Amino acid sequence: MKAYRGEPTIFRNRPAERNRAELEVRDVTLTFGGVVALKDMNLQVHSGELVAVIGPNGAGKTSLMNCITGYYRPQTGKILFNGHDITKMATHDLVKIGLGRTFQNIELFPGMTVLSNMLLARHIHMKYSLGWACLFSRSVRKQEVSHRRVVEELIDFLEMQPIRKTPVGSLPYGFMKRVELGRALAMEPSLLVLDEPFAGMNLEEKEDMVRFLVELNRVWGQTMILVEHDMSIVMSIAKRVVVLNFGEKLTEGTAQEVQGHPEVIKAYLGDEDG
Amino acid sequence: MTKQYTVPQLLYERAEAMDPNRAAIREKAYGVWQTWSWYAYRQHMEWAGLGLSAQGMKRGQPVALVLDNHAEWLFSQMAVQAMGGVPVNLFTSSTAEELVSVIHRLKAPYAFVQDQEQVDKLLEGCEKIPFLRKIIYIDPTGMKGYENHPLLISFKDLLKAGERTGVENPDLFLRELKKGRPGDTAVMMLTSGTTGIPKLAVLTHRNFTAMGKQWTDALGIRPDDNWLSMAPPAWIVDQMWGFGVAVHSGMIMNFPEMPDTVLPDFREIGPSVIITSSRFWEDLASRIRVRMSDAGWMKRRLYDWSVGIGKEVAERTAAKKEVSTALRLSGKIASWLIFRPLLDRVGCARFREAYTGGHPISPDVILFFRSIGLNLKQCYGLTETCGIFQVQPDGEVKLETVGRPLPGTQVRVADDQEILVKSDANFAGYYQDYKATEGAFADGWLKTGDAGYIDGDGHLLIIGRKEEIIRNKKGDAFSPDFIETRLKFSPYIKEAVIFGEGKTFMTAMINIDQDNVGNWAEERKIPYTTYMDLSQQPAVERLILSDVTKVNEQLPPYMKIAKFILLYKLLDADDEELTRTGKVRRRFVYGLYLNLIEGMYDGLGEIAVRGKIKYRDGRVGRIETTVRVIDVIGPDVTKTAGSTPSAGEPALGAVS
Repeated sequence: MKAYRGEPTIFRNRPAERNRAELEVRDVTLTFGGVVALKDMNLQVHSGELVAVIGPNGAGKTSLMNCITGYYRPQTGKILFNGHDITKMATHDLVKIGLGRTFQNIELFPGMTVLSNMLLARHIHMKYSLGWACLFSRSVRKQEVSHRRVVEELIDFLEMQPIRKTPVGSLPYGFMKRVELGRALAMEPSLLVLDEPFAGMNLEEKEDMVRFLVELNRVWGQTMILVEHDMSIVMSIAKRVVVLNFGEKLTEGTAQEVQGHPEVIKAYLGDEDG
Repeated sequence: MTKQYTVPQLLYERAEAMDPNRAAIREKAYGVWQTWSWYAYRQHMEWAGLGLSAQGMKRGQPVALVLDNHAEWLFSQMAVQAMGGVPVNLFTSSTAEELVSVIHRLKAPYAFVQDQEQVDKLLEGCEKIPFLRKIIYIDPTGMKGYENHPLLISFKDLLKAGERTGVENPDLFLRELKKGRPGDTAVMMLTSGTTGIPKLAVLTHRNFTAMGKQWTDALGIRPDDNWLSMAPPAWIVDQMWGFGVAVHSGMIMNFPEMPDTVLPDFREIGPSVIITSSRFWEDLASRIRVRMSDAGWMKRRLYDWSVGIGKEVAERTAAKKEVSTALRLSGKIASWLIFRPLLDRVGCARFREAYTGGHPISPDVILFFRSIGLNLKQCYGLTETCGIFQVQPDGEVKLETVGRPLPGTQVRVADDQEILVKSDANFAGYYQDYKATEGAFADGWLKTGDAGYIDGDGHLLIIGRKEEIIRNKKGDAFSPDFIETRLKFSPYIKEAVIFGEGKTFMTAMINIDQDNVGNWAEERKIPYTTYMDLSQQPAVERLILSDVTKVNEQLPPYMKIAKFILLYKLLDADDEELTRTGKVRRRFVYGLYLNLIEGMYDGLGEIAVRGKIKYRDGRVGRIETTVRVIDVIGPDVTKTAGSTPSAGEPALGAVS
């Protein structure tokens, strides 16, 4: 239940250019020594889409996400985001142009509270220098209040009010994942990459998370790439599904199309002979 | 003679008289307390009222309110009343059928609802309520897809429309406001239907203003006092407080951020008065005791010592015995060292008065809180009396009574032990139910339906619901409530239902408290899975057995519990076993679990169960399990004919 009147200004007041999220992965190949993680990968994501990337374990999903978000550098190919060539861009520069992500293994500071973790994520939007910050001048205070407001609205949106002052490390796993999402959203990404956000959650926690993602995408137009194993969730929320297998794109299409594809069934369930 | 007002008229006067910037309402949102002044309160009432007028609302029309504890509840209800409408509050936890059936019965053309969930419930049944003209929703979350739906309008838009109407027609609001009379219906409340169909009690403006005055005078409430609104608007307590006491005294209504943050919000506000259900206090007592048993050795020793001192002081004071200086000094040390910090931790440090009502409470719970320095007292009232009319005055706290009537209220006990009340706060009758209204009064006195008696000090004692007083096979009268509240003092027992009508011995069906028993089991390394599994563990049975045996020691022989079972599921309002206010639907539960009850009386050791349970999505599933019957052994626990009660027992023994 939302405590307040449910229209986070972070989404409502976002200028249209910030919502633009055009991603193109072009002929990307990633190898680790002899292992080919990705081979001639092509992927496109357009503004406002919710694209799901699925595939059996080891298919290369996380490697693809890591390439997009600057953790790996592909050997060949290009990755373009809103016209910029981001193939060789460092992660800290990527967040400045609007790329955000959540991590499969939570990357939060366990000793800090939920509020502090999310406020920390606002640092890329903070426009004061260290000097003024030390003096805590009026302009610094004003900025801090506005950042706190944004974070509080996100906490309200994600229904985390009871845990806002709880150290993250003592939270149940499902809540930690929610804080992770909150942290990523606090950065105001144009494109949000979600790496297995539902892993380890029980049914109720999954339902809550689905609700948030659907609202983010369908109501507020947040562009998302979702890496996920749970088929039922993927089928119900993704507009487009991309299937990877052994580092290659097997197929892509709507959830219906992909579900019935014989190659996909073979990849997941195995061959009748094998 | 002082001028009589309707509730919104009184609010209007208050807003004029008070410093307009003084806080009237506070609500926590985004981590900070947002304030509305009296001026803003009045302004919102005006805009919402004019907005309703712009929608075409006519005087006398019923309006359904399905709202949670937020400032908008006050604005909406005041607005409806100001424009001459009749608000009817419903639980947000109601199912779609429950809401639609009430709206259908009322033929209400307007409904204020909290959020998308409530909107969906109404839209689901909208063919059955074709006269519903507009649904006003407060929280716009998730409502983007519903834009342009002809039935819906947001509260914000209603206010805007009201503001515009106010500019075009500046006299309209005051004109309508002044048409209200104190005898007009202020609100209609659904009374909890523990038996049969819930009725609509009609309460007038005079009821509320009278109640407001009685409480303000009795407690000396000041404008800077705080009240935290946690109980649902569909209950009489927050209605009585928000529309009676707060408007009369000018105190501040505070709304917590959400139900899960109530305790920290409690601490921040530090309310001075609270009236809440016995379950709240039972749960709090359980929580404190369980947490203390987990504390370190030093803390536990200090705590036990302090509670011992506190208990003795409380008992001596209650019995009007002298308290020695040494004891008094120890009490002060205990208070400073243990009790003040403990109470502060649970947000109860600033209470001048704390009341428990709605249901009888175990005297042990009261003694516990009084021992640790919280001025917890019993009170009593009904929806039909516009809330609480019996309070225990300070300095006269006796553990078993519900004190004296408020100034302006008269109470007496009829020959058949029924409690009767006469007051300006008594309701006007039941909506469209002449027979029930007639039946509720006797010579101008309101019949409460509860049995009780008045003791030597003028205090009232409640025995139990008059219709629930049952007799065992021998004819001894007893109230199942009496035994059940004592059982619920145990932190491990969440709910208990006693059976014994026409039988030779008492049996009980008990719901264990999942959290507390779960923790207990984990500490002893007893593995368990579900509630069903936990409730059937032999160790848990032994745990509950010891608590039942303890309660038996406090009971006269014919009331002692001889056998009990631990039910495999929690009794739930969604399964219609409890009312929405948490009271057990005795007859219904009896019928539902008949085979278990008969099994106990037939002397079975184990009973096979094949039951149905409803999942959250509405599907019905089957469960099969066996439930063990646990025998209670102890002095005087007979499984044959009961004996006569000993002299000195409360009027239960005085069977005519």
